Parts: sequence; C-alpha cells; structure tokens
Amino acid sequence: MKVTYFQQVPYRHLPPDFAERYESVVSTPYHALTRPEQVADAFQDAMGELMHAARAGFDALVVTEHGQCSYDMVPNPDLLAAALAHATEAEGLSTAIYPLGRSLGKAREPLRVAEEHAVLDCMSRGRLVCGFPIGLGYDANVNNGVPPMETRPRYDENLRLILRSWTAREPFAWNGRHSQHRMVNLWPRPMQDPHPPVWITATGNPRTIEFILESGFGFNYFGWFGARTTAPRIFERFWGTVDALGKPVNPYQVGFMQLIGVAETDEKAEKLYAEHAEYFFQRGLGSVPMERMMLPGGIDIRGVEALLRDPGDTGLYARMRTAPFRDLAETGCAIVGSPDTVAEQLIDIIKRHRIGNLHAMLQFGSMPAELTKFNIDLFAAEVLPRLKGIWRDDAPPHHWWPERLGGDLSPLRAAAGAVTGGLR
Amino acid sequence: MTGQKAAVERREARVCAGRLRIGFRVVGSGPGLVYFQAGGPAPCPLLDRLAEDFTVHVLELPGTSPGDPYAVRELDGLWDLVLACEEALRALELTGAPAIGHGFGGMLAAEIAACYPEAFAKLVLVAPLGLWLDETPVADWMAAAPTELPRLLFADPEGPVARAAVTPPDDPEAAITAASASLWATGCVAKFIWPIPDRGLAGRLHRIAAPTLLLWGEQDRLNPVVYAEEFARRIAGSVVKTIPECGHMPQWEQPADTHHAIADFLS
Repeated sequence: MKVTYFQQVPYRHLPPDFAERYESVVSTPYHALTRPEQVADAFQDAMGELMHAARAGFDALVVTEHGQCSYDMVPNPDLLAAALAHATEAEGLSTAIYPLGRSLGKAREPLRVAEEHAVLDCMSRGRLVCGFPIGLGYDANVNNGVPPMETRPRYDENLRLILRSWTAREPFAWNGRHSQHRMVNLWPRPMQDPHPPVWITATGNPRTIEFILESGFGFNYFGWFGARTTAPRIFERFWGTVDALGKPVNPYQVGFMQLIGVAETDEKAEKLYAEHAEYFFQRGLGSVPMERMMLPGGIDIRGVEALLRDPGDTGLYARMRTAPFRDLAETGCAIVGSPDTVAEQLIDIIKRHRIGNLHAMLQFGSMPAELTKFNIDLFAAEVLPRLKGIWRDDAPPHHWWPERLGGDLSPLRAAAGAVTGGLR
Repeated sequence: MTGQKAAVERREARVCAGRLRIGFRVVGSGPGLVYFQAGGPAPCPLLDRLAEDFTVHVLELPGTSPGDPYAVRELDGLWDLVLACEEALRALELTGAPAIGHGFGGMLAAEIAACYPEAFAKLVLVAPLGLWLDETPVADWMAAAPTELPRLLFADPEGPVARAAVTPPDDPEAAITAASASLWATGCVAKFIWPIPDRGLAGRLHRIAAPTLLLWGEQDRLNPVVYAEEFARRIAGSVVKTIPECGHMPQWEQPADTHHAIADFLS
C-alpha cells in the first residue's frame, strides 16, 4: 500500500458570509478579499507541511493544479514540485514527487509540460510520478480559453506528444492539430526508463476509464463528492471494465484521495476539524457552480444525457455549498475521528474497492499549519502503519511507481515508442 | 437560382469531399431563402410567417442535425465551416438567394457574404455576433448559469415569451433530451467562437456586396445595440433598424415587427 500526502494551497481567510456575497471561488475578486501576507503565509505553510509529511514517512508528496481560484492557488504544481524535489533530495528523503494535476486539456504548451517534468525527474533523481487529468471546465475553458469541445482532443494529442518527446531516440517533427513543431528534441529527458509513471484523475466517465486501462496508466479518483455513495459506483465500474477488457487486476493501478482529520478521540476530532472541513467544501469545491464545471460541449452529448438521467456520480456536490459537517461526515466527504475510527473506515474503503494508493488530504480549508502538522503526525503514527501492509503479501508488482522507490516499470518499457504521430 | 419547389421537410448536401452532410429544414413555398439560426433548432414564430412567402431553408449547424451530433468534429474551425456552408449552398442551388442570420448565424452569414460577395442577393443580419468592443463586451452567455439566460436573451425576462423559452418539456425523458441537445448545440457554436466571438470579421465586412439590413433589439443585453453601428459603418450601404421593447431574440419577442421589417427589406 502506498500512502501519499496530498496538499493544496487554499486562501484560508475568506469571510464567513462568502457564500452570500460571492458567486463562486473561481471568480473571486482578489484584492477585496486577500491580504498579501496571508497569501505568502499560505505558501510558506504549505511547503512546510509538505516537508513535514516527507519526514514523517509518506510515500509521496502530491500537489494539484488550479488556475484563478481561491481554493487552490497553484496555477502550476511543477513550481512547488521543483522546490520539493530539491529539498527532499538534499535531505535524503525517499518520497515520490507527484504533481498529480497537470491538466493536458488545458495545456497550450504541452512540450513545456514535458520539459518541466523531465527536469523534475532529474532533480529528484527518478522519483517523479506524473498526474495528467483532462481538466476542469472553468480552468481549461474559461481561464485558458480552450473551446470546451476541444478539451478532450487536445488532451489526447498533448499526452501523445509528451510521451513521444520523452522517449524518442531521434529528433522528430510534430504535425498536430493543436500544436506543430519543426523539431522536438528535449533536453533533459526524464531519468526514469522509459519515463515516469503516468496517472489520470477522472470522475468515472466510462470512456475515460477504458482509455486509462487500454493505455496502461494509473487511475486516480477523488472522494470529495462523498465516497460512501460515489466510490462503490465508480470502482465497480472500474473493476468491471478491467474484467470486460481482460486486463489484470492490480490494486496498485488505483489511487483514491480522501479528506481526513485525526485526533485522540472522535469528539476532539470533530471539534478540531469540523469548521475547516465546512470551509473547504462550502468556501471551496462547493462554491464552484455546476455550469462552471460543465461547459457546453465539454462533455459528450451522450455523457450529458447519462448524467442527467442518473446524477449519482456527483454525490453531495449539488448541495455542498451549504452542507454542514454532519452531512460531510455521513456521506464520506470527510473522514474525521480517532485513529481507530479513521483507520477502520479507510481500511474498509481500501479493501472493498481494491485501492493500492491512498492520497491523504490532511490540510483542508482554513486549517492552520500547527493543526495540519498535528494531523500529519497523528496520522503517520497511528493510522499509516495499519494501512501500509494491506496489499503486501498478495499484491502484484507496482507498475505505476518509480523503480527507485520499489516500483516496476517493465510494462511501460514494453509499450514505449508506440506513439508515432499527431492526431491531425 | 432555383428553389421554386413545393415545401419539403428536409434537404441535405454532401460537402468536404463527402465527409460531411449539411442538413436544411425546409418550410414554406415561394422563392428560396436561407436562414442561419443562432444555435440549435427551435420553433420560431418568424419562420412561420416567412414560410408564407418563401421556401425557407434553415441551415442546421453541423452537430445539431438529428442523429448526427459528431458531424461537428469534421470541422477544425470557422474557416472550415464557412467553406462547408458555401459548398452546401452551391450544391442545393441556393447561391444568390436572400439570407437571414441571427446571432452566431448572423456572423456566419456575414462571413460567407464577405468571402463570397455573390453568395446572397440580400442579407438580413439580426443582432449578429462577430465584433468586440472592450467597453461594451458581448455577454458570456455560453458559460452563463441557466437562470441568467432569460435576462440576457429577452427584454422582459419575466414575460410569457421568456418563460416559455426556458420551460422544459413536461415529459422527463423529453426534458433530458432537450437539455442535452441544447447544451450540445451551444457547444457546437462555441467550437467556432470560444471564448470571444471575434475572429477578425471587422477586417472582412467591407467585402460584403449584398444590400444589408441590420436588425437589432433595443434592449439586447447579450450583444448590445451599439454593435449595430459598428457593423453599419463597415458594410457600405447597409441599413440599421432597431426594435423597441426587444432583446436579443426579436423573432420571438417581437415577431410581427421583425417580420414586417424583413418583408419590407426583401420585397
């Protein structure tokens, strides 16, 4: 079992009446609501918390990408990952560096993504794990001006270009629909052979699951919508597709992100974390209106019909903006409690859905650094050891993890070089 | 030109070397007239009136034809769309007919008329998109919340016309199909004009040779009436007519005035 530390960089001081005064956290006016010192503190604290987690023994440091929003002020996760790659290498910490959210449906400069990740892999001496989500509507389409209908084809082409640019032995020309290059010849290339492991975060779209499995990538699913109701749907779909496609069952191909708060007792945990969980959902994800996620043409017409017929995959999302802590806990949006309570709930999810990688989100919403470090320490001491051994005895090799950290990338080597051209 | 045929329900042209079918809904009888919609198909009181005097060919934007949602993928951008539409008009012998275009359809008609000055005998542009003024931006209706749309589209967002336009069908399955189709149609439009409906038309409008009527609702909050003058000063000899108590949807909100202005101009 791999257990990673998952970090965002939220602005933690939005006013309590934010929901009444502002339409969303992706159109939040900056100057009226922020103080420069508090923004700087957010980065200082986040980097400190990440390093604290690395020292506490987490398997990876995970950072995400969100442009022009207050709930995660990280327009490019590679910036944070670069500092972490250097600092962990200097301290001799054997943790993976995992920018999980570099959106390729949004990227207008895919070669820059390939270059940055190659640099990160060199800086970390082969500890990079890459996450390439398709992209959120407001970010790819509104912030970055990509027509919604173009997001997916752009993603497909960008990913092909990145994989080829990492592995090609000779310089090549790229004649794509979305980018054209007379010569592609990256310096440096990734250290890992043939390239770092690739993960895709998805919300459970059947087409995307099939694509992930056919491509041999890892599948990340985020439990923010309330895993108690959504996880059974999504993971049954995933493993059902594994069966249908005749692919091998390997828990390490699945990653799951969960918001977690641990304290000595259930009562203390609720007291410590409830307000911050409410902040995260009400003044974060829950304040991204549906029409900013689902822009016209961004989801295939058949997919829209399916979503309207059965909105179950979106879990608590529709009422997240006002959901009190009790609802967040009941639906599994947040797992908060004593080490026993938290471990029992996590072990149940992990075993039931055959999850080989848990992304523990231990800073959320308005949490200050001290409380976050307390959460990290208690989780690392009391919960993490009970999770680590879950798949140890009967699991196949981890094909989605750096070899320097115990992974086995031999299937990637067998598949490398498959991409030959653009999608024009 | 031809078109003096009995009304038929639908015609199609194969274009782009056979890769794409462009459909037209055909209503009415009389001389041919080409109608470029703002988005997907919608019942329109103006069309019924025009059908009394013309064989109206309502162009279906690729991707919005029934049963063919992925046709839009055959087109890379606006240039491809202009060429495909011109090919279709030629194939159906509609070249030289008068044309009416609304919103994005107006922009498309203007692009075709600028590229092919002989394409249309006369041109009616109803609140066409295609220009951009920083001080009066076109509203971001493609990313707007559904609750915002009546205010952007209609002078009277509470009125019966606005309410009818946003009321879903009673049957839940029909409502799902309608909502999905409407969202997809907007997505098809967005493919050609996202995120800002300015593809350089300002530099091409001077090529339009067809007599042109610019028709605009005075309370258009989506594409404000100040754009009428911007179009007018770039199209030689064009005429502006504005309609009071009317938003971005004159054909629905003031169908009689709109029909009157168009009929006058085309006669």
